[in-house]
Amino acid sequence: MKNNRSQRTWDIFVTFLRFGCFTFGGGWSIVAQIQKEYVEKKKWITGEELLDFTSVGRSVPGLMIGNASLLFGYHCAGVPGALAALAGICLPPFLLMIGITFIYGLVRDNLYVARAMTGVRAAVAPIIFSALLKLFRPAMKDALCYVIAAAALMLCLFTGLSNVLIVLLGALAGILIMEVKTRRDLH
Amino acid sequence: MIYIELFLTFAMIGFTSFGGMSMIPLINQQMVSHNWMSIGEVADIVAIAEMTPGPLGLNCATFAGTRAAGTLGAAAASLGVLAPTLTTTLLVGMFMARFKQSHIMGDVLYGIRPVCIGMITAVILQQIMENYAGQVLGISPGALCSGLVAAYLLIVRKWEVPPVIGISALIGLLLCR
Repeated sequence: MKNNRSQRTWDIFVTFLRFGCFTFGGGWSIVAQIQKEYVEKKKWITGEELLDFTSVGRSVPGLMIGNASLLFGYHCAGVPGALAALAGICLPPFLLMIGITFIYGLVRDNLYVARAMTGVRAAVAPIIFSALLKLFRPAMKDALCYVIAAAALMLCLFTGLSNVLIVLLGALAGILIMEVKTRRDLH
Repeated sequence: MIYIELFLTFAMIGFTSFGGMSMIPLINQQMVSHNWMSIGEVADIVAIAEMTPGPLGLNCATFAGTRAAGTLGAAAASLGVLAPTLTTTLLVGMFMARFKQSHIMGDVLYGIRPVCIGMITAVILQQIMENYAGQVLGISPGALCSGLVAAYLLIVRKWEVPPVIGISALIGLLLCR
């Protein structure tokens, strides 16, 4: 069993290194790759278990891809498996990004690069906006959610309040509102 | 010390964000207030992170860490952003069955998700104010053109992000000064 576990840990590390090179476009590509490799081919987990890892991974703090990978690794090979999956998925983008950042530092003052970057910077507001559109519907469960969103926007625009604090206020509001709702439903 | 500051800042960002774009407002505020980046550089990092593989939050941490304090800074910032995964998520993995029955995270997220919508909207407004500024009536025509084309391609034509960034770079090269 012990030998089996260290073999699994190594398998996870090498496979997730490969996944780490191709995690474009948010978390869904990695979920698809785990599905193919570990649900269909190696049959280590079921599709439902994978769904659990992704939905739980999304509902706890931190990077969703990192969380889902770690939960998968832990399920298959305990703490070593968890660390292997996380290290595997993170190392390729980490190393690549260090290289890109150095290149960015070298070329950013070049006239043509600066012009191109001005165009790219202008595209970032629509890029974030299109992501916002996808997040909007699942976030807005009822009318109260619109009030919370508007309050958060006002706090961001008109106060110097830290975003960390605004998130914590949102968490508190969520707990209080749901508590009131469950009590009302009981009566 | 800068490494500890990077680690703590990104741990704080990690613990209060739930992946993807919800991290951008937190990163934006922390980077600008620490003087590690300008608002324009935050836009650069979003664009670069969208074009390279890997989780957005990790890419941002590596970029910011490298800019602020080199490769060691990148390691400190990345470990910071992974801190919640290595602690809370690992605990949740150990008590998975019990966690799934609990409704506490659902309650917390009911409040946090709309807050993220509000915060992301604020970042979009800030990005527009910063990156569309220019000489013609306070607006840069090239930047405006790039933004409108990008909005059309992303929202109406449903393009993926990387080719849109390519097009916007081309528009910038031709029209921006």
